[in-house]
Amino acid sequence: MTERYSFSLTTFSPSGKLVQIEYALAAVSAGAPSVGIKALNGVVLATEKKQKSILYDDQSIHKIDYITKNIGMVYSGMGPDYRVLLTRARKLAQTYYLTYQEQIPTAQLVQRVATVMQEFTQSGGVRPFGVSLLVAGWDEDEERPYLYQCDPSGAYFAWKATAMGKNHINGKTFLEKRYSEKLELEDAVHTSILTLKESFEGQMTEDNIEIGICNQDGFRRLAPSEIKDYLASVS
Amino acid sequence: MASTVAVELPHGGFSFDNCKRNALLEDKGFKAPKAYKTGTTIAGIIFKDGVVLGADTRATEDTVVADKNCEKIHYISSNIYCCGAGTAADTEMTTQMIASKLELHRLETSRKPRVCTANRLLKQMLYRYHGYISAALVLGGVDSTGPHLYSVWPHGSTDKLPYVTMGSGSLAAMAVFEDRFKPEMEREEAMKLVQDAIRAGIFNDLGSGSNVDLCIITKDKTDYLRTYQEANLKGVRQGTYRYKRGTSAVLKTEVKKIVLEVIDTQVKPQAMDTD
Repeated sequence: MTERYSFSLTTFSPSGKLVQIEYALAAVSAGAPSVGIKALNGVVLATEKKQKSILYDDQSIHKIDYITKNIGMVYSGMGPDYRVLLTRARKLAQTYYLTYQEQIPTAQLVQRVATVMQEFTQSGGVRPFGVSLLVAGWDEDEERPYLYQCDPSGAYFAWKATAMGKNHINGKTFLEKRYSEKLELEDAVHTSILTLKESFEGQMTEDNIEIGICNQDGFRRLAPSEIKDYLASVS
Repeated sequence: MASTVAVELPHGGFSFDNCKRNALLEDKGFKAPKAYKTGTTIAGIIFKDGVVLGADTRATEDTVVADKNCEKIHYISSNIYCCGAGTAADTEMTTQMIASKLELHRLETSRKPRVCTANRLLKQMLYRYHGYISAALVLGGVDSTGPHLYSVWPHGSTDKLPYVTMGSGSLAAMAVFEDRFKPEMEREEAMKLVQDAIRAGIFNDLGSGSNVDLCIITKDKTDYLRTYQEANLKGVRQGTYRYKRGTSAVLKTEVKKIVLEVIDTQVKPQAMDTD
């Protein structure tokens, strides 16, 4: 019955669902796992970056990227859709800065990005984005970290810790056991690696995962050498 | 089934719809308000390790000083700064827009921004407005290819030179540069030269005045010296009209109590009536 309503994005199915969005979420669940954990003094984002062949130049493409100097983002799902949202998010942040002469707060940015994603679920001739985003930011005024998830439907949630992509249910269960309010950033990085390890097939090296941290010094992607050190302390 | 996709994009550029109306009003004797100009001395030089930019701090509205201590050296990126002469709003907004564009460019390319990129962005925007954006700029910075200095004119032309001056005090400042500039100067010598050039503008041009701001950009760091030198201190009063207690002799003292009716009212915050 639902197949009859699956071609048109802007039509509801009898059960009250927008089937295209469900399918978009399925695309996300088929994507590479990513993890985000909010600690007392910062946020960590981690993702699996497995390339299909050893011939790929690992360090040329990044999954974790900057939006502003205080906010970074990672995704699970379709890479090209992520690139579009990344460019949009950067432009939105700059527009805010030009208007208010202040760095955009993380919550405001997430709201704007989520609005963009929602627009693509209610317009003609377009399809929803096949990505879920994890946005990590540090608010300079409030001096606290933030972690948000944006879904293809345009919904956004603030998380203390979450997992997306393949095996996200197991990931979230693992985090529920491991998460504590008193986590420091160092421990959070440790925990995120362990969470990724749960669903990792093969050997985890500094070239097939990416980690980004966000604290009062801003957002930063860890260098492969730093990731190597963390991996050494985990195994 | 299909509805319109995106929001209608706003048209860029100026709208000349009101020009006829304004001309009619001027004929009737109603003059348009004049723009807030900076009437400035700005200068920049390339020295051994980088670039030194200097500016005065007076903003004028015709013949009145509107701001005695305004900031004329604008941030473009951590390694590129831009001094602005002309209409204050134009220089401020233009440099902010280019700073924003350069930040987006930096994020896309993952590289430290280059001065030539900022130059391109500025000239392309100013040319599009055919000189109506009255911004004359001195753009300087240090990037991966070394130190660079440009002067950007309101119509969109640029010059790449070892030393430049702009603004109403540019001739006074240029006279100092032409006399004492040498290539490969040391930092202190370069700072003194720019400072003296700006001072020449401050003391010999009516449109420039107050203090000297300097910005020294090198490969490793940038020093933004706001109010490097207070060239014009406001005069200190030499005497006072206040008299000491006891100057007038007290002959008689009488204290009377005045009965007042005091009404005390407290204003308490009340909940808003939202019915």
